[in-house]
Amino acid sequence: MNHRPTLKPLGQPKAVTVRADEHGEPVHVRIPGRPARRVAVVRECWRIDDEWWRRPISRVYRVAVLDDGKVITLYHDLLEGTWYVQRG
Amino acid sequence: MGGSRSVAQRASTIGPGAGTAIGPEAGTAFSPTPSHVSTGSRRALCLWLPTFELRLELVRSPELDTTSVALLSPGESTRRTIWQVSERAHEAGVRPGQLVSQAISLCTSLTLLEPDPAHYDAAVDTMLEVLTEITPVVEPAGHGRVFLGTDGLDRLLGSPSRQIDRALRSLFRVFPSPLVAATRAGMAPGKFGAWVAAASAGSGEPVVVTEDQLASFLSGCPVGALPVDPLVVQRLERLGIDTLGALRRFPEPSLIAQFGEDGKNALAWSTGRRIDPVRPWHRPRPIRASLEFPNPVGLVDTLHGALDRLAERALSRPARRGRSVTGVRMGAHLEGGGSWFVESVLREPTSDRERITAPLRVKMTMSPPPKAVETLILELTSFGAPSVQTGLFDRKVEGGRDTGGYDLDKGEIPPTLKDAVKELKLRLGHSPLYRVVEMDPWSRIPERRHALMSFDP
Repeated sequence: MNHRPTLKPLGQPKAVTVRADEHGEPVHVRIPGRPARRVAVVRECWRIDDEWWRRPISRVYRVAVLDDGKVITLYHDLLEGTWYVQRG
Repeated sequence: MGGSRSVAQRASTIGPGAGTAIGPEAGTAFSPTPSHVSTGSRRALCLWLPTFELRLELVRSPELDTTSVALLSPGESTRRTIWQVSERAHEAGVRPGQLVSQAISLCTSLTLLEPDPAHYDAAVDTMLEVLTEITPVVEPAGHGRVFLGTDGLDRLLGSPSRQIDRALRSLFRVFPSPLVAATRAGMAPGKFGAWVAAASAGSGEPVVVTEDQLASFLSGCPVGALPVDPLVVQRLERLGIDTLGALRRFPEPSLIAQFGEDGKNALAWSTGRRIDPVRPWHRPRPIRASLEFPNPVGLVDTLHGALDRLAERALSRPARRGRSVTGVRMGAHLEGGGSWFVESVLREPTSDRERITAPLRVKMTMSPPPKAVETLILELTSFGAPSVQTGLFDRKVEGGRDTGGYDLDKGEIPPTLKDAVKELKLRLGHSPLYRVVEMDPWSRIPERRHALMSFDP
């Protein structure tokens, strides 16, 4: 029997479909399995550039309020060009 | 009782002056209810006794009725403020929220009363008991407010006016006439409508709002009645949006963009779209432990020691087994009469003595009992969902005392947990348990902070 402990990271990002405007700001968000929602307002925005010495990370995070009042944390991966939703 | 008033009389009097229950306290009655709870009663009757606690004091000491009286805020020690004021004190310029020094300078003959939460709680319990004879759907909302679900009562009691009359007559059975005579009553679809109706009603003149009239009735109501963050109300007023009718003119996305969830809810209430049903109130029976001192105790250190003993006793009660604690209340009967209480909602469910008593110790240090304590009381008031799993982490009672939980980080594995894992491994072939471990808790990248590690003791 294998007794080696295994690790599962928490707070893994999930890919979402985002329609952005000409300035790159999210306008509509579709989380898999849910209907698309309009972004009512972006409350906060910050950028992370890290780990350039191994696998570079470059993300722009946004805390967005959707039109149903739900608050989500989105990030745009600047290297891949894809959008993710993430907890934490 | 007089007949009920029509909705022609608008809720124009609702505001910080008239509605002491407006504001964050009022919001508790309108908080979302978990989806697993039954739907409750759509039509609501709100009974509101303004300055309920002060009126109870005046019933207890009728000689004060003709004097200027103010009740002090509970739970404060260094900067005592005024909580409720009598009419005479109000005429002299004393207002709720004023510092005691300000109040006394405005009214030198002011009589100040210490609050007696135990007495008020007992009165509320009595009120709820008689009202449940009319309908089982009774929901207290604090500060002299109670909601009754009246769906289906028409055939039993007759028209809405008769239902209100019946509810008030029930109160006359248990409270003196001057107290009940001051009760305001309002009936409408949903708790918010009923509350606005009650606040706009006069003594002996209930207001009844039908489904068709709700939207137009609410349009004249000031935004101060909304059970949202007071800062949201302030901002609305600064923007010149004084009534719910004015608020309604704005599109929902704009309100959400400005105020988030509060903006969305405010619009739903103001249009009458959001109807909060009255839900039967289930009060979990608290686990109570008390300690009577041979001589009244004023030393906080002694009270802290007594609190530890009470927590041990309460936690070791069979009724607590298998349940973690989420809310606690500590109180005291004071020397020479009166009572004192502090409450705390725990950050996370726990059955650890230290985690339960720590917030109470802080509260006791910040606002100690105003007089020496004759009896100290600890109540475990709310609990996490019953689960055999929380019991896995409890240390066995040794010599009649619970000695606290195990520290898994130090390699202490409770035998009950070991047995449970062994059983699961036999059944599944592997241990399906995981522990949350810190990886890099201060990382800027969220997925680097914590991880689940397989747990196989």
